[in-house]
Amino acid sequence: MSSPCALLAWTFLTLLGLGVAQEDLTPCSPIVPRREWRALPSTCKQRLDLPVRCVVVSHTAGSPCDTPASCMRQVQNVQHYHVRTRGWCDVTYNFLIGEDGLVYEGRGWDIQGAHAGGGWNSKSIGISFMGNYMDRAPPQRALRAAQSLLACGVARGALSPNYEVKGHRDVQQTLSPGDQLYEIIQTWPHYRY
Amino acid sequence: MRKAKLWGLLGMLFVSELQAAAGQAEEKKILTEGETLNYHCVYTRKHSQSQKAWQRVMDGGKAETLAFTEKTSKNSQELGGRYFLEDNTTQGAVHVRMTNVQMSDSGLYRCVIYPILSNPEVLESLRLVVTKGPSDSPSPDKNPPRDKAQTTTFPPATKAPVTQPPPKSTAGVSRPGLEVNPTHVTDVTRISVFSIVIPVACALVTKSLVLTVLFAVTQKSFGS
Repeated sequence: MSSPCALLAWTFLTLLGLGVAQEDLTPCSPIVPRREWRALPSTCKQRLDLPVRCVVVSHTAGSPCDTPASCMRQVQNVQHYHVRTRGWCDVTYNFLIGEDGLVYEGRGWDIQGAHAGGGWNSKSIGISFMGNYMDRAPPQRALRAAQSLLACGVARGALSPNYEVKGHRDVQQTLSPGDQLYEIIQTWPHYRY
Repeated sequence: MRKAKLWGLLGMLFVSELQAAAGQAEEKKILTEGETLNYHCVYTRKHSQSQKAWQRVMDGGKAETLAFTEKTSKNSQELGGRYFLEDNTTQGAVHVRMTNVQMSDSGLYRCVIYPILSNPEVLESLRLVVTKGPSDSPSPDKNPPRDKAQTTTFPPATKAPVTQPPPKSTAGVSRPGLEVNPTHVTDVTRISVFSIVIPVACALVTKSLVLTVLFAVTQKSFGS
């Protein structure tokens, strides 16, 4: 094979390889949809400009739950508190993570959350672990669920491939996501202070 | 043959580097002349006590400081009156306001930590594109009323470029003539269908191109 032809073949193979990598439609792991956890309808209108470059990790500082049944009740509780008591248009997070290892759909990928203050809300996805993680860490299955969710976000084009993870306390004055969980997320590859 | 392989590998490295560089964070906003830019530069708490500045980056990399926040008030001085900064330290964001943008304002801007070092710490970058608005100045006879009605409606979703979402209005920016409400939902679904169809079509075209080339190459090598 003559050299220029081989080079041409290599170039095309390279482009093809890159093309395949980008258009790979990776299925996302199951997320418990709003209807399933019997969410109140959202009245939020503000959409997110996708892809976003940041993920803000918080904790609800409320009760944890470790079964699908109890977590379903807990997500409802969180939403009720946000909507009925605090008067927001919906639960403030884009996604919630239960200690049952499941991801619960909050505002989702397309609607702006209200989890971290004005500027950050419009540029980030907010995920919240259900529980209080000052003195204890979430179980491995919850952390795995969160990581899988973020990988899904990249695959869908909702998160930039080089997205950055921040703790809630990195962007606002708060204890969230709790000392233990904060220590864990600082070890995540996408974490940037 | 070994040389060709080496070049091939170098080629792959080069292209992947280009991809990585293209992923550098740079927001984009599109406004029409006369509108006000409202932009939030976000930062983490390590910078909550620092002053911030708003700069314009010229071609060639030289940056011009347009405004910076004061130490105590956290708001900017009024340099020339077009640029206003408001630093909300509890929210971790600088609200940047540029009034009455013109086409000459199009370019690259950035929020940096102030005082500005020789290698500045950049918080966020913004690519501003200012387009000419619908004809405010009456042009003689060339724009009958019918043309004006056409320019004020939003272009059909099928023409919208797939790689770019339709420009979204930011808080405080009024967009004259933007008709969004009834058709917006269908526009969005139409765009998402195209964002699947076009990449798939591209993939098919690329793959068939590669197969054709490989086929031609093997034919040639067997023939020669």
